[in-house]
Amino acid sequence: MLDIKDLKARVAGNDILNGLSLSVQAGEVHAIMGPNGSGKSTLAQVVAGHDDYEVTGGSVTFKDKDLLELEPEDRAREGIFLGFQYPVEIPGVNNAYLLKAAMNARREHRGEGEIDSFEFLKLAREKMAALGMDPKFLNRGVNEGFSGGEKKRNEILQMAMLEPELAILDETDSGLDIDALKAVAAGVNALRSPERAIVLVTHYQRLLDYIEPDFVHVLSQGRIVRSGDKTLALELEEKGYDWVREAANA
Amino acid sequence: MSRLSDDKLREIVARFPTTRDEDWKYTDLSQARDIASRWLDEKPATAASALQDDAAAITSTIDAAWLVIADGVLQTTQAPDGVSVDRVDDIPVGDSALAEFNAALVRDGIRIRVSGQVERPIGLLLLDSAEQTSVAQAYVEVEFQNGASGELIEYHVSRGDADQYANTIVTLHVSDAAIASHVRIQDRGRNHLQTSKTRVSLGKDARFSSASFDLGGGMVRNDIDIDIANTGAEVSFDGLYLAGDGQHLDNHTRVDHRVGPATSRQEYRGILNGRCRCVWNGKAIVHEGADGTDADQANHNLLLSEKAEIDAKPELEIYTDDVKCSHGTTVGQLDETALFYLRTRGLDRTAAMQVLTHAFAAGLVSRVPVEAARGAVSALIERRLEELAVTIEEDPS
Amino acid sequence: MATETEQLESLVNRRYEHGFVTDIATESLPPGLDEDVVRAISARKNEPEWLLEWRLQAYRQWLEMEEPEWAHVHYPKIDYNAISYFAAPKSDEDRPKSLDEVDPKLLETYDKLGIPLHERARLAGVAVDAVFDSVSVATTFKEKLSEAGVIFCSFSEAVVEHPELVKKYLGSVVPRRDNFFAALNSAVFSDGSFVYIPKGVRCPMELSTYFRINAANTGQFERTLVVADEGSYVSYLEGCTAPMRDENQLHAAVVELVAMEDAEIKYSTVQNWYPGDEEGKGGIYNFVTKRGDCRGANSKISWTQVETGSAITWKYPSCLLRGANSVGEFYSVAVTNNLQQADTGTKMIHIGPNTSSTIVSKGISAGRAQQAYRGLVKVMPQAKGARNHTQCDSLLIGKDCGAHTFPYMEIRNPSAKVEHEATTSKISANQLFYCRQRGISEEDAVNMIVNGFCKEVFKELPMEFAVEAQALLNVSLEGAVG
Repeated sequence: MLDIKDLKARVAGNDILNGLSLSVQAGEVHAIMGPNGSGKSTLAQVVAGHDDYEVTGGSVTFKDKDLLELEPEDRAREGIFLGFQYPVEIPGVNNAYLLKAAMNARREHRGEGEIDSFEFLKLAREKMAALGMDPKFLNRGVNEGFSGGEKKRNEILQMAMLEPELAILDETDSGLDIDALKAVAAGVNALRSPERAIVLVTHYQRLLDYIEPDFVHVLSQGRIVRSGDKTLALELEEKGYDWVREAANA
Repeated sequence: MSRLSDDKLREIVARFPTTRDEDWKYTDLSQARDIASRWLDEKPATAASALQDDAAAITSTIDAAWLVIADGVLQTTQAPDGVSVDRVDDIPVGDSALAEFNAALVRDGIRIRVSGQVERPIGLLLLDSAEQTSVAQAYVEVEFQNGASGELIEYHVSRGDADQYANTIVTLHVSDAAIASHVRIQDRGRNHLQTSKTRVSLGKDARFSSASFDLGGGMVRNDIDIDIANTGAEVSFDGLYLAGDGQHLDNHTRVDHRVGPATSRQEYRGILNGRCRCVWNGKAIVHEGADGTDADQANHNLLLSEKAEIDAKPELEIYTDDVKCSHGTTVGQLDETALFYLRTRGLDRTAAMQVLTHAFAAGLVSRVPVEAARGAVSALIERRLEELAVTIEEDPS
Repeated sequence: MATETEQLESLVNRRYEHGFVTDIATESLPPGLDEDVVRAISARKNEPEWLLEWRLQAYRQWLEMEEPEWAHVHYPKIDYNAISYFAAPKSDEDRPKSLDEVDPKLLETYDKLGIPLHERARLAGVAVDAVFDSVSVATTFKEKLSEAGVIFCSFSEAVVEHPELVKKYLGSVVPRRDNFFAALNSAVFSDGSFVYIPKGVRCPMELSTYFRINAANTGQFERTLVVADEGSYVSYLEGCTAPMRDENQLHAAVVELVAMEDAEIKYSTVQNWYPGDEEGKGGIYNFVTKRGDCRGANSKISWTQVETGSAITWKYPSCLLRGANSVGEFYSVAVTNNLQQADTGTKMIHIGPNTSSTIVSKGISAGRAQQAYRGLVKVMPQAKGARNHTQCDSLLIGKDCGAHTFPYMEIRNPSAKVEHEATTSKISANQLFYCRQRGISEEDAVNMIVNGFCKEVFKELPMEFAVEAQALLNVSLEGAVG
């Protein structure tokens, strides 16, 4: 589904990704771990198409399409969802409006009609209930004045509504208390399916207690230095990232 | 002692700004024009006044290397290491009637250069006597050279009962990577007039911090123009005006952001009691291409009596989009809840008001960038607030 | 919320849509202005002597006045003798008695404009007075309104039918010599709307006027007078459009509102005069004087404006807060793109005790446009307990535009509480990327963010207008980001 080959990227003149390769198939859950500055968030941003990140080499294909050729909104319409580490506040634009506009953009792209308002509200309320969100959130400004936990739940709500084929969740666990973490994890697990792939970008192993990955990759200095199954995450937890760095340098 | 003929001087006086000029809408200089004309008619001989005692008393309140300019004449120079003081022979003619008037009549214009890290603050006492109708001019240039750092205290005082119009021009240049701290205290006679123009220009990565206190003067108009033409400049300035019966205090500020990134922030506060009027006009101009500008203006006013008036005008002119600009202005009274709280704790209304007005002023005192001056400033404010508090008792509003 | 969303979604980006010219026979005066022209206008309208005299005095006063130059706008000197001061559809000779008699071409024009003049008007419950060039063409719902005692008619008709009311209130809020453009209007105003709501009446429907400049080389000088007598309420909407022409056209209107004790007037404007093309050619000079007088205690006047059109806008809808506890409000969205210039804001003059005012101004500047907010909050010495809150926000789109604020606060009473806040921002790259990552195009994302920025003001507009306003905003900002 997603094929990254020898990807190199820089931001503000600094090389961050230095030949990263990763292949993700439908139905899989991948966890990408690594110390701060290893390039985890950069990878997520590059796949989503942020302008600030300049791709200097390699290729990214998604469902056999050259992703790097596409505008961010077209990537989204193709089915890529990025859960932001720092969800953006957009004052005055209400959540429901953004959500509906996003769903309809996707539906239009697929040649489907616009979602019925009634159906939309029903769906949104269901998903919110599952995430433990107050339905009032729908009428508030996008992330405006939300707490950290509320913002992250809101990201998961958007994901649940948009039903992407590939969801990349960037540090979705950061800043969450245990209840919020469980709610978020339940939301992600509910979305696991044979047609869908999920990439979790995380610093800590904690999230993986709740969302069990099929593969774990460790990033260091812009490259994947180690891949394995979920036991790799536990090993990392125990030995710390220095262990990986040493392994990488060895 | 004038560099120009009386006729020429009269012609300049006739060109002083009037309330028809937008920038002078709220401040009428006709009194200054009148004093200047009378002075030209009478030309009283300047008596050598006995200002030494006053000078000594004032300079003893702040530990600094003091330069005293009494009635326009430079008296003492005890410049610390790294500081040079010269008389300026070639006063620039000036670009306004007020500047021309200054250039024609100033006696000792002075130029101060600061190089290296100067620890001891430089004090500049401008002391004028008014035994007869008089005009007083001061012209000061200060240059903080590349990488220099220094502190400057500017202290304006006048003595005497006769009419006086003082007109000051101060130019501060803070060169590349220099750090300048500035305090201005204006405590002129309650019957005296002053116009002052302060121009500040900043080099690359220069820093300028300033605090200005207007306590005295009958009619005072201060203009501070800050020009940011180099990147990385950081400007922060505060002003406090305390006005009582018969006072008119006008502060006009202007910051030109010509390039970015650079930051400027200003906060002016006013406490008005008795029959008085204050004006605050803050202008920030972000020129084309000044991307990365961060400019903030704040102005807060406390009106404590029936006859106090305030005109506030926070202006922004912005010609590019990558900016962060904001301003906030408030006009109001002391918080009744806080007053009540203090009274339940046993303070009478006047005392409670004093506590709160003092707190209102204290925020700026704590930020005075020249530490050596902080104590003296605080004492002066305390004294002035006590004077104002007397009026509060007489005129409960 | 759902309907709003849907209506919004159905609106696609459009260019200036109202720029068609109606091919209809018009009768107009030759260009030029002197006393004879003033007399001719007055004669055409069979005006009483006192009104002619009033006009002539205004004209003489205007001759002595100077065009204001303090606004932050630039334009070549206007030749007031190159303008025609009166243009009317020919059929004016025998004015239509009912809608059926109105020239079908005119109705078609209003159709194109989306004015609910016909059946749609009935459905929407909006009574419409339409001013085409200088003449009021049709007023709908007259009967239903007159049952309630509400007078809603063209200004010319009011002069004939209700001379005592016109005489009493005309010029009582905006005196003839108030300013250069008001004086000009007083001399040559051709038509406009007149509204009178009697004591205790809540006007049963929204009243609405659509203005359109059609003829070339004409100025439009309409005059609107709304009087809400004690305890009454009225909501009044006005909309404006003009065809695309290469020359600049002058629009100098005067609006006067009078609210007596316990009365409330809500006045909403969606101004979409032709703004000129991308190079700044053509467009309307919109130099308008609008003022409301809260004459009675507990009265309220609320101005809401959405200004997207005009090459140059010079306009400060104001409130004189005379009555005790009276309330003034000003909600404004102003959009300038390309080479548009706007200098707009409000004046809140606190005169009576315990008066309060609220100002919310949202300015959006894009392209090479320059926009200024200019406002005055004045608290007079006798205005005990005055309150004002002002929020003034600017959104900049692009490097070449400008956004300026010139707020004046003149406080003469110590019990006043006045707060002013202003911010300036741009649409952040992060906000855009976030929306795009959700599949929303850049243009839609900009519209969405801009509409969010303006929300506080849009919520003050009646529903149909709010939707139109949002759509207009999108049109106005077309091509602003890219």
